[in-house]
Amino acid sequence: MTEVARAADVLRSAYESRVPIAPLRGDLLPVGDVDAAYAVQRAQVDDWVAAGRRRIGAKIGLTSAAVQQAFGVYQPDFGVLFADMAVPDGDEVDLGALLQPRVEAEVAFVLGADLPFERVTAADVIRATDHLLPAIEVVDSRIADWDISIVDTVADNASSGLFVLGNQPRRLSDVDLRLAGMVLEHAGEPVSVGAGAACLGNPVHAVAWLAGTLAAAGAPLSAGDVVLSGALGPMVPVTAGGGYEARICGLGSVRVRFGGKEQA
Amino acid sequence: MSTIEQIAARLDGAATSRTPTAQFSADTGLDVPTAYQVQHAVVAHRTARGERLVGLKLGLTSRAKMTQMGVDEVILGRLTDAMHIPDSGTIRLDDHIHPKVEPEVAFLVEGGAIAAVAPAMEIIDSRYVDFRFTLPEVVADNTSASGFVLGAWQPVPDGIDNLGVLLEFDGQTIQTGSTAAILGDPRRALPEVARLAGSELTDGSVLLAGAATAAVPLRAATHVRVTVDRLGTASLRVAP
Repeated sequence: MTEVARAADVLRSAYESRVPIAPLRGDLLPVGDVDAAYAVQRAQVDDWVAAGRRRIGAKIGLTSAAVQQAFGVYQPDFGVLFADMAVPDGDEVDLGALLQPRVEAEVAFVLGADLPFERVTAADVIRATDHLLPAIEVVDSRIADWDISIVDTVADNASSGLFVLGNQPRRLSDVDLRLAGMVLEHAGEPVSVGAGAACLGNPVHAVAWLAGTLAAAGAPLSAGDVVLSGALGPMVPVTAGGGYEARICGLGSVRVRFGGKEQA
Repeated sequence: MSTIEQIAARLDGAATSRTPTAQFSADTGLDVPTAYQVQHAVVAHRTARGERLVGLKLGLTSRAKMTQMGVDEVILGRLTDAMHIPDSGTIRLDDHIHPKVEPEVAFLVEGGAIAAVAPAMEIIDSRYVDFRFTLPEVVADNTSASGFVLGAWQPVPDGIDNLGVLLEFDGQTIQTGSTAAILGDPRRALPEVARLAGSELTDGSVLLAGAATAAVPLRAATHVRVTVDRLGTASLRVAP
């Protein structure tokens, strides 16, 4: 068994057992080998697609300067989104289905046109965007205690978990995303605040990076895809009880609750 | 009470000599009400030098800072005309101890109500070593107030509760936040101040509502700019 297959196998076991695993870096994957990490991600995605899961887009991670510094990297990363990860706005999520969830507020881009270019401009993204939705991403890590490096998170589908989309579409032409304020509240208390500029200066830049990266990898973004463009403020650990609501100025709001198993 | 005057003199001396002072409340058992008396005495040193009171500021207006200080209450400080730095004006690090900047929203008060709003920044400069203080100590130190910059006054637009806020050094974004960090909605600053010091809200008073992001140390030879969505910018140059 190759190192890629072995790492994918270990991650699969974490999903199945709901018991987090030790970091992959240095053990199953070479430290800093991001290409190998994406190969692990691809191996899992291929399995998931073969098992009938519907691929609906992608998420972008590591989009804030502070997080990039903490990881010692100078580019974002991405993971693949599936239709079964979508939670209806306002629904309750069973904590038992997750390992160690955290939440962050983001702008979701829903594309109306393909983006098949390896070099993508802001204008390409703007033209291809059909509408925007406010989103809460429920990130999760299969690596114990979120002890992750770039290699660990990329291999682990960029720490994807679930996502919640708002239902009121807005046009990109009506919003200045760079200066759009964001507040994420838990039980009415602000737990994360930020603005669009926290995401690579502007979420449009993050989508341009993703489109180019995916096109170069031979799996370009296409019309209908949903892109979670990256956090607008710090991610926060989830606590059960009390709802989470994200408000993004100009995009409206989106909410989710957590129940079931108590977070350890 | 001599202790109050002694502490005030020590804090004022730290400010005027640009030399930070050690913390002291462990020795004095200073409580918050007494700390506000010290603050009055500290401000009296300024007015005795000819400075004029022009407004008020709130501190600990974010959930994060309240948690950090272990309190559930905002704190109040006084602003004087000597603290006002013109928009796009220049300051020198040497005139301060260890100044930090934070992006804010300012209100102009007329008839006890908000008459106008402006993007703003506050220069805070704790008179204590390493910016380390207890709650009574920061209250006594006039809530670290040192300077403020106001952008253009304008009518208050609808919905200023979640406006994006950027703090830039030489065009590079170093903090991003939202006005939501200020009491959930910066307009809540007015009732807070009215409750704490309503008689001081005279016509033309400036009210600094609170910080939208964490404070950042100023550095020499830097252009500092705050941008608040819909409200515009305020800027400052730090001399080489």
